[in-house]
Amino acid sequence: MFSYSVVGAQLYVGDMLFVMITFLVLMWLVKIIAWKPITKMMQDRSDKIVNDIDSAKESRTKAAELAQKRQAELDKTRDDANSIINNAKQNGQRQQEQIVEDARNEASNLKSSAEKDIEQQRQEALANSRKDVASLSIEIASKIISKELNEDDQKGLVDSYIEGLGKQK
Amino acid sequence: MGEPASTFKFLGLTFNVGNMISILLACCVVLALVYALSRHLTLKPGKAQNVLEYAVDFTNGIVRSSISGETSRTLGLWGFTLFMFIIIANLQGLFLHIDISGVTYVKSPTSDPVITMTLSLMTLTLAQFLGIRQLGYKGHFENYLKPFVFFLPINLFEEFTNFLTLGLRLFGNILSGEMLLGIIIGMSHGGAVMWIVSFILELVWTGFSVFIGCIQAYVFVTLSSVYISRKLELED
Repeated sequence: MFSYSVVGAQLYVGDMLFVMITFLVLMWLVKIIAWKPITKMMQDRSDKIVNDIDSAKESRTKAAELAQKRQAELDKTRDDANSIINNAKQNGQRQQEQIVEDARNEASNLKSSAEKDIEQQRQEALANSRKDVASLSIEIASKIISKELNEDDQKGLVDSYIEGLGKQK
Repeated sequence: MGEPASTFKFLGLTFNVGNMISILLACCVVLALVYALSRHLTLKPGKAQNVLEYAVDFTNGIVRSSISGETSRTLGLWGFTLFMFIIIANLQGLFLHIDISGVTYVKSPTSDPVITMTLSLMTLTLAQFLGIRQLGYKGHFENYLKPFVFFLPINLFEEFTNFLTLGLRLFGNILSGEMLLGIIIGMSHGGAVMWIVSFILELVWTGFSVFIGCIQAYVFVTLSSVYISRKLELED
């Protein structure tokens, strides 16, 4: 079957078949060995790059959002702090005014009550002295009168006086 | 052609042992190369992976520059394998050429017209097949009657010349490179001076042939893509 010979030029149909088959087999083997994995890897890489770009974009917007949020929060906090300080200041001011007002009121109250006391005491002293003057004058008057009375009248008067004294005690 | 060759007959078909060895060797080199470069694939490519990815991108670029749409993705593997096989086959004969008693056993497979024409035939068959799949039988064969009916012979002839030129261009370039290399090596037997001269010439010519081999692989894949792309769209 294998007629082995050295001949000249001729159309080697067998070679054509051989080339075709080996080429197809080569293509198949290359596909298995390298083409599929390398194509998959390249696809994976391009997918990954696309994903990375997307996620980078996403995280950038997220970061910007966060920064904005933080800025807003910072502003809000500053405002809060300012308002707290202002409130405190106002409160302090109000309290101060209140205290001063109270003190003033108390002082004026004290003053007025002291004045009242003084007035009352003066009135009392005046009344006392008036009473004393009255009783003294009555005494003087009675002493003067008693010298001109008769014995009975005098006795009645003395009695009434004593009675008056007893009542007074 | 015309050189003595070692052949055998099997099932009524004639096989050339030298061609078969050369083809198998080229395939093995391609496989070994691809295997070595495709180990430890990672998302962050290493050196070997970068080389392979560059090659894949390169051939994908060739295919996509002429073929658009879904078909170009399925043809990526075809373009890559074709390019790798042809470039290795072109360079193989420059580095390894084994003659045993006048019969060549290892050389560039692409320096044989039978092989290049077969590759060319495969490309054009693929083009016909893809054209029919894309446009249907009616659309595909109507393309031969365009711009008008009388163009049928011209279109048919164009198909035939495409087939011939695609195969013969590759064959001619590689064969001439190898032949001239052989002649230069033959010159080196003429003494010390000739040896030095032929050594320098051989260096230069080998470099040039490597260049030619790469260019021809690129040209073959590019033209194949163009021929296929022309079958994929309806002509006006």
